[in-house]
Amino acid sequence: MKLGLSKRQVALIALALAVAIVLPFAFDARGYTIRILCLGLLFAAMAQAWNIVGGLANQMSLGHAAFFGIGAYTSTLLLIHFGISPWLGLIASGVLGGVAAFAISLPTMRLRGHYFALATLAFGEVMRVIGNSWSDLTGGPVGISVPFAKPSFVMFQFADTRTYYWLMLAAFIVVTAVFVAIKHSRTGYRLQAIKENADAAEVIGVDTTRTKIIAAIVSGALTACLGTFYAQFQYFFDPDTVFGVASVSIRVAMIAIVGGIGTAAGPLLGALFVIPLEEAANQVFSAQVAGLAQLVFGTLLIIVILVEPRGFIVLWQRLVARRKPGGPS
Amino acid sequence: MTTPLLEIEGISKRFGGLAALSDVTAHVARGEIVGLIGPNGAGKTTLFSALVGLHRPNAGTIRLNGKNLVGLKPHKVAAAGMVKTFQNIALFLDSTVLDNVLIGGLMRHSVEDARELARRCLDRVGIGAIADKFAHNLSFPERARVEVARALCTEPQILLLDEAMAALNPVEMDEFLKLLRDLRGEGLTLVVVEHHMRAIMSLCERIIVLNFGQVIATGTPQQVSRDPDVVRAYLGRSAA
Amino acid sequence: MAVIQAILDGIMIGGVYAVISLVFGVMGIINFAQAEFLMLGMFVAYYAWAWLGLDPLIAAPLAFVVVFALGAVVHQLMIRRVLQAPVVAQIFLTVGLLIVLENAALVMFGSSFRSVTTPYQTSALQVGELFVSVPYLAAFLMSVACGVALWLFMRASWFGRAMRATAQDPMAARLMGINADAMHRLAFALGVALTAFGGAVILPYLTVSPTVGGQFVVLMFTVVVLGGLGSVAGAVVGGLAVGIIQSLSALAFPIQLQNLVLFVVFIAVLALRPEGLLGGSR
Repeated sequence: MKLGLSKRQVALIALALAVAIVLPFAFDARGYTIRILCLGLLFAAMAQAWNIVGGLANQMSLGHAAFFGIGAYTSTLLLIHFGISPWLGLIASGVLGGVAAFAISLPTMRLRGHYFALATLAFGEVMRVIGNSWSDLTGGPVGISVPFAKPSFVMFQFADTRTYYWLMLAAFIVVTAVFVAIKHSRTGYRLQAIKENADAAEVIGVDTTRTKIIAAIVSGALTACLGTFYAQFQYFFDPDTVFGVASVSIRVAMIAIVGGIGTAAGPLLGALFVIPLEEAANQVFSAQVAGLAQLVFGTLLIIVILVEPRGFIVLWQRLVARRKPGGPS
Repeated sequence: MTTPLLEIEGISKRFGGLAALSDVTAHVARGEIVGLIGPNGAGKTTLFSALVGLHRPNAGTIRLNGKNLVGLKPHKVAAAGMVKTFQNIALFLDSTVLDNVLIGGLMRHSVEDARELARRCLDRVGIGAIADKFAHNLSFPERARVEVARALCTEPQILLLDEAMAALNPVEMDEFLKLLRDLRGEGLTLVVVEHHMRAIMSLCERIIVLNFGQVIATGTPQQVSRDPDVVRAYLGRSAA
Repeated sequence: MAVIQAILDGIMIGGVYAVISLVFGVMGIINFAQAEFLMLGMFVAYYAWAWLGLDPLIAAPLAFVVVFALGAVVHQLMIRRVLQAPVVAQIFLTVGLLIVLENAALVMFGSSFRSVTTPYQTSALQVGELFVSVPYLAAFLMSVACGVALWLFMRASWFGRAMRATAQDPMAARLMGINADAMHRLAFALGVALTAFGGAVILPYLTVSPTVGGQFVVLMFTVVVLGGLGSVAGAVVGGLAVGIIQSLSALAFPIQLQNLVLFVVFIAVLALRPEGLLGGSR
C-alpha cells in the first residue's frame, strides 16, 4: 500500500504521535483538561468513522447516533445483566452496529444527497424513540449507569483519567488506520468513483451497491465500538444523549467537515477545534444563558460552510499557497 | 457461420407511454466495427444504456457469447465483457487521469496491478504523458481518449462508443479513427454511435440505422446510404 | 366511530401540515431548518397575543410577514451562496441554520413552554356522534384559506407564473428576462412564511418553546416526501396522509410511538418511492 507520504510528513506524524503520548503528563491526572482531551479524541475517532461514509462515499449521514447509541447500550446491558467484560461487549457492539448499518443501508442505498441525509436522520430518530420507549431494556429516558467495579483493565474501568486518554488515542489511531487503509484499497478507489459519477462507475465494473454497503458497515461498526468507549468513560448516559441528533449525529459530521471532509487529518483538526471551543463556550456562557454555546457552534458551522466547505485543511493549503507564490496554486 | 458475439433480440423499452425502443433486433460478430446511426431521438443512446444494464428493457433478450444479460446490473455486464463510454463524457473529474482509468481495472485486478494496466491502456490510446493530470484540466480530445482508455482497462470483448468524437476537429477525428481501427485489429469488437457521417462511413463495414426506436435498415455503408427509408428518415417527410 | 373521529381529526391537522409544507423544497434545496420557522411563527403569534392581545388567528398574517422578511434576508446572506455548492455544503448550511435559530430562540425567549388562552380553546362542535374541536377547525380553515390564496397567486399573478417557470427550467426563465435569483428568494421566503403562518394558527391548541421545531422536522419531511418534492397537489395529499396516520396511530400507541410510526412510513416511502406517491404526474 502506497500512502504517498513524504519523509517530512512521516516525521511530522511521528512527532505528533510522540507528543500525543506524553501530553497527559502535563496535566492533572484527575483534572478537567484531560477529560476534554479524552472527549476530543473520542469525537475525532467518531468523525473519522463518519468520514468513511461521509467523506469517501459522499453520503451525508445524519444518523450516526443510531450506531453510537447501539454500541453504548449493548456493552452496558451485557455488563449489567450478564457481567460480561466491556471488552467483549465492545465486540458485540461492533457486530450489532455493523448489522444495524447493513439494515439501514438496504432501504437507503439508492438515495442520494438530501434524501440520504433525511432517511438516515429519521433512522437515528427511530433509535432514539425506541431507546426512550423500551424502558424494560434501556431504562428509558432516565438513563442508565455503568455499574462501578474495582478499577481494572478487564472491566474497562480506571482510576486514572490518563489511562482513558491513551485508550481514546489508541481508538482514534485504529479508526484512522482503517480509514486510510480503506481509502487506498480497491474499495476506496471505487468509493471515489461512485462519489464522482455513480453511473459511470457502475458501467466500468464497480458494484456500487456492494461498495457502499461495505463502507456503511465498517463505519457503523466502528461508531458502535466508540459508543462502548463513551459508556465506559462517562459511566452514565440516556437515550437523548447517545441517540441525539445534535449531540452526536450532527456533531460528528460537523467535526469532519470543519476539519476537512474526506481527509485523514480533518477529523482530528475538527475535534481539537470544536470540542474545546464548545467546552469553553459552555464555561463562559452556560451560567448565564442556555443555548449560547450551541449558538456559537451553529454559527461556526455556517461560517465554515460559506467560507470554505472543504474545511480547515484546504483553508490552510490555500494560505500556504498564497505565502509561496511558486507553490501549487 | 459461428454464433455472433452480441445478439440483440426483440428489445423494447418504454418510458411511461413513450416507446423509446420497439422490437430492436441486431447482431454483432466478433471483430466487427458496427456503426449505429439515426436521427436525434432515434433511440441510439437508450439502446446502449439497455445493452449495458443501465435501463432494463421491457421485452427482449441480449446475449453476449450466448449468455443472457437482461436483468444484470451494469457491473455484471462489464464483468461479462461489454462496456460503453458516455455521450457527454463522464470522467471522474476530481481524480487524476491514471486514477480514472485504474477504476476500470479493479474489477479483475488488485490496485497495484490495475495501476500498471491503466498505464498500459493510457499508452495504448496515446496519452501516457498526461497520466498525472487532473481530469477536469483536460482538453476535449484528451477526455475522449481517457474515456476509451478507462473502458479498455476493463479488458472488454466489445466496446460501445457513444459519440466519442463529438467534440473533435477533423484532424483529431482522423487520429481517433486510426486508434479505433488499430484496436479492432487487436481483436476488439466495436459498436460506434456517431453523428459524423464521413467518420462512420469510412470506419464501419456494417451499419445499423435506427429511427423512432426501430431498426429501419442494416447493411454496408453503400447499401444504407442508398436505402430509401434511411434517406427519408434523415431528410424528413418532404422527401418521401 | 373512534376511527372516523380519528380520521376527521387527522384531516383537520393534516390540512395545516399541507400548508406548512407547501413551498418547501420547491427549488431543489431541502431546508433542514424549515421547522424552526414554524417555531418563529408561533413565537410571533405568542407575543402578539401577550403584548397586543391579538388572537393567534389574527396574528397569523403578521407572522407570515415577519418571517417572510427574515426568510428573504436568510436567503440573501446564506442560501443563495450555496446553490451551486456541493451537496455537503447545502445540507450543513441549513443544519447550521437550524442550530442557530433554535438556540437564538432559547437565548431570547428562554426554555419555558408557553401557551395562549382563547375563548374557543376548549369548545367543540357536535355533528351527530362526531366532535369537531373548534381550535382544530379554525386552524384548518385558516390554512385552507391561506393555501387557496397562494394557489391563486401562483396561477394568476405574474410572480407566480415566473416562479413556476423558474422552478421548471431556470435557464429558459432567465432567457425570458426573469430574474431567477429574485424568484428563488421569493420562493424561499414564501415557503418559510407559510410555515410560520401555520405555526401561528396551531398555537391555540399547542404550546410553544424554542425546541418545538424538533417535533415537526421529520413530520414536514414526511409530508413532502409522501407527496413528492415541489408539488402543491403532493403537499396536500402528503399533509392529509400524515395527519390521518398520526391520529390513527394515536388510537393504538402512546404518544412517543406515534412518531415512530411516522418515521417508519417516512423511511419506507423514501426507499420505495423516492419521487413521492404522486411521482410522475407532475
